[in-house]
Amino acid sequence: MAREYDHLFKLLIIGDSGVGKSSLLLRFADNTFSGNYITTIGVDFKIRTVEIDGDKVKLQIWDTAGQERFRTITSTYYRGTHGVIVVYDVTSGESFANVKRWLHEIDQNLRVVSRILVGNKNDAPDQKVVLTEDAQRFADQMGIQLFETSAKDNINVEEMFMAITRLVLRTKKELKERPTDTVIIRPRQKPKKSKCC
Amino acid sequence: MGSRIRENVRHLFECFCEVVGPQPNGADPWIIQKFPDSYRDEEVLKSVPKFAFPCQFDNSNIQHYSFVLTNLDSKWTFGFCRHDPKSETALVVLSFLPWHESFYKFLNIICELTHNAHSDDLWKFLETVYQSRVPEPGGTLQVPTSTSHSKFVCQCPCQFSLPSIPENRNLTEYYNAVDSNNMMIIFASMLYERRILFTSKRLYRLSACVQSANAIIYPMNWQHIFIPVLPMVLVDYLLAPMPYLIGVPHCVLQKVNRHDMGEVVILDADNNSIETPFSDLESLPQDVVRELKAQLKNRAALLGDGVSRAFLRALVQLIGGYRDALKFHQGESIKFNPEAFVESRPPSMQPFLRKMLQLQIFQQFIEERLDMLNAGIGFSDEFEMEACNYSDKTSSRLKQQYKEWSYTMRKEGTAFLKSVKSKANPAMKSAVKHVKERGKDVGKAYKGIRSKFKELPTTAHGLSRTDELHNGGRTAADRPHTAAFYTASSTYKRDLMQSRNRNSSASEINHTSFSPLNTGHSSPDLSPLDMDLMGDLQDVIFRNCSALNNSPPQSPAVDRTLKPVRSLETFPGGSSLASGSHQLTADLLGGAADDSSLLINAEQKWITSHMQAQPQAPRIPSIKVPSQFPSAPKQSSEHNLIRLDSTPSVEDFDPLLQRHDSSPLNSPPSSPATPPAQPALSMANPLYPYFQPPAAAADHDLLKEYGLDFNSLSVQRTSAATGQANWTKFD
Repeated sequence: MAREYDHLFKLLIIGDSGVGKSSLLLRFADNTFSGNYITTIGVDFKIRTVEIDGDKVKLQIWDTAGQERFRTITSTYYRGTHGVIVVYDVTSGESFANVKRWLHEIDQNLRVVSRILVGNKNDAPDQKVVLTEDAQRFADQMGIQLFETSAKDNINVEEMFMAITRLVLRTKKELKERPTDTVIIRPRQKPKKSKCC
Repeated sequence: MGSRIRENVRHLFECFCEVVGPQPNGADPWIIQKFPDSYRDEEVLKSVPKFAFPCQFDNSNIQHYSFVLTNLDSKWTFGFCRHDPKSETALVVLSFLPWHESFYKFLNIICELTHNAHSDDLWKFLETVYQSRVPEPGGTLQVPTSTSHSKFVCQCPCQFSLPSIPENRNLTEYYNAVDSNNMMIIFASMLYERRILFTSKRLYRLSACVQSANAIIYPMNWQHIFIPVLPMVLVDYLLAPMPYLIGVPHCVLQKVNRHDMGEVVILDADNNSIETPFSDLESLPQDVVRELKAQLKNRAALLGDGVSRAFLRALVQLIGGYRDALKFHQGESIKFNPEAFVESRPPSMQPFLRKMLQLQIFQQFIEERLDMLNAGIGFSDEFEMEACNYSDKTSSRLKQQYKEWSYTMRKEGTAFLKSVKSKANPAMKSAVKHVKERGKDVGKAYKGIRSKFKELPTTAHGLSRTDELHNGGRTAADRPHTAAFYTASSTYKRDLMQSRNRNSSASEINHTSFSPLNTGHSSPDLSPLDMDLMGDLQDVIFRNCSALNNSPPQSPAVDRTLKPVRSLETFPGGSSLASGSHQLTADLLGGAADDSSLLINAEQKWITSHMQAQPQAPRIPSIKVPSQFPSAPKQSSEHNLIRLDSTPSVEDFDPLLQRHDSSPLNSPPSSPATPPAQPALSMANPLYPYFQPPAAAADHDLLKEYGLDFNSLSVQRTSAATGQANWTKFD
């Protein structure tokens, strides 16, 4: 049976509750997969298959509840993932503060994992408190891309997901050339991995 | 914060549902009736039938199991289910309370009432229970039913009590289904936050095992995906890349492609077998594993909370030292210093502890404790209790070691032990009182002192110089070794052991090497060190005196200073300085002066002058140095202990010992607990990074549990770099 896809990537979407993670996922995901379990088992995921440069990529984007209770999200949380979509709400300074802290943590402990910074709810300029310049400065400092999106108005959502997928794909291809570097983020691509932590 | 059980629960249960199972025509299970009717959480109500009939399962016996729903705050709702082969429906009670035994009984009564002729009885009963107050910890709720022979008795578990066998059905089931080695593997996998799934054909076994596995990492809580029973419709969630602990009914597991799941730990609870791609148990510190194994082997002791306690003890060994890594800066909240945490533990554990810092379960545990401390809440639970007991245990193990040592030393050590044990409590009690009354301030002061101990760079400095001094004319090769003290705090133990083994001859050497100091800085290269040492001593004395003078603001600081003295004094026939200081304290405390001691003129003068510089000019103790006989200080050491231990101390703060008594020397509990910054500083530095008087080696943990981490002065004894064997045994 031919594979439906060339790559399967597991992505995480993190951010405070209320920043619009679910809306972003709904915008992006295949409508065929329905069901909202985040309110009942604390975890949810959405699926979509996209094509990038001729490669069929199946994306699973995972979301868990109550992340804002973590001052830091530790590296074990990211262990099995290929990329992280870090979402804040441009109308909430607090959500941005959390995201900064978490990104610093990822930066310290998982340098190889692909990341992207997303400022959602970018559709009400009068309520915006996290200025684009500030977010951009932070993104530059962390060496990651920033997307300001609106799930409500469907602005920049597709672009953002495609960008992270590209990043992950590129990282995967790079790592294939240097397979010894896969220790931290890609347990599944390395057949015999003795250590994981 | 760490816990995922809701607090301030208003109702014993949220909702009762009767669920009709799946029909042969393919209809999904649905809720046929519920109570209260006002319950409207649609998402939950939609899920209940799926979890009540998660898959095809063997329904030949009455069985109880529980499932767990997680809301957006990641708090748990428990669904207690009762399946009866004679009934087409399942009874489900949703509650925020994890009281399995009570709710299983509740379900039995509900079942009885459903078969009752008067259908009203059930609703009346449910109404009564629903409106009843949730019992307080340890309390019970009793609700009679209309049928005279049954009464619903709901017992709120005692606070902090550990799950015990056979009372706790979950743990009993887990223990019966899974052998202790596999329990340890699961425990280890959880400490690595793996993706873990349990499988069984029996729902009750599944939920019991998953619940127990989480209970066993107490005081930590599983922070990740937690689904004790996974319904068939959610089978794809096994692909989640994040850590999880999921109970997968056997038939559900068969639907998933193992390869797609990736690296996952699988426990088959029916066959007591584990598949794991990791070697997590092997990666735990092996002395911890060995001890855990030994405890789990003693089957007779496993009844009651033996199993829970065995795992709790393992965790105490691993993370009980978190208290040593708490830091306080004036004006800030208490913080946890991860580096200090790792370095406070023996090197054999450090690699694992470093990984531990990367665990969400550990992070949340620390956050929770910090929150409590910063809120001024004292806490006492089984974990903190075990942390205290641990020291006792260590002590007794160390007593074994003593047998290898000389008779005199052994005798001393035991005497010290005894006195510490018997005397320590009052200090803790009064400290508790302090903390209770002073709340935040005391806690802060306590941390403040501690942080100073740890952070001052001068600490290492002072130590190293001290060390060199004591090495005196010995080989230069000793120095690199001693320098290592500051990097790994546990190293001192080794050295102390060595010096111990060297026995009385060593003490003589020490004594001699120390003499330059006594004669007043006669040797130029020794003098800076001398100053440091004396600075500390002076500090100790000053504080000591001020404590006697009841100068209120100093109470915590005083204790700090006193402790170093205690540690010194425990050197059996130790160096003249050590005995001197101990003697000194004894004098300060009004203890009898040791006639056999020498007077150290230089020392006294120096101290005197410094003390006079202090505002309170405490009375000057007659400083005497006992003769070189190791046994000489014994009596006075007991004096010291009494004195030391009876001093109220914030760092002695142990919330567990709540007896309120105050020894005559206690400063009034109302005295402000803020430590004077300067003195605390100076006295703290040289004392902290090591600590472990040879005779008192056994008490290391006991002392530590009081927050005593000083011991700079013991450097002198540790200078000799002889045999390094055995030191790891001490942790």
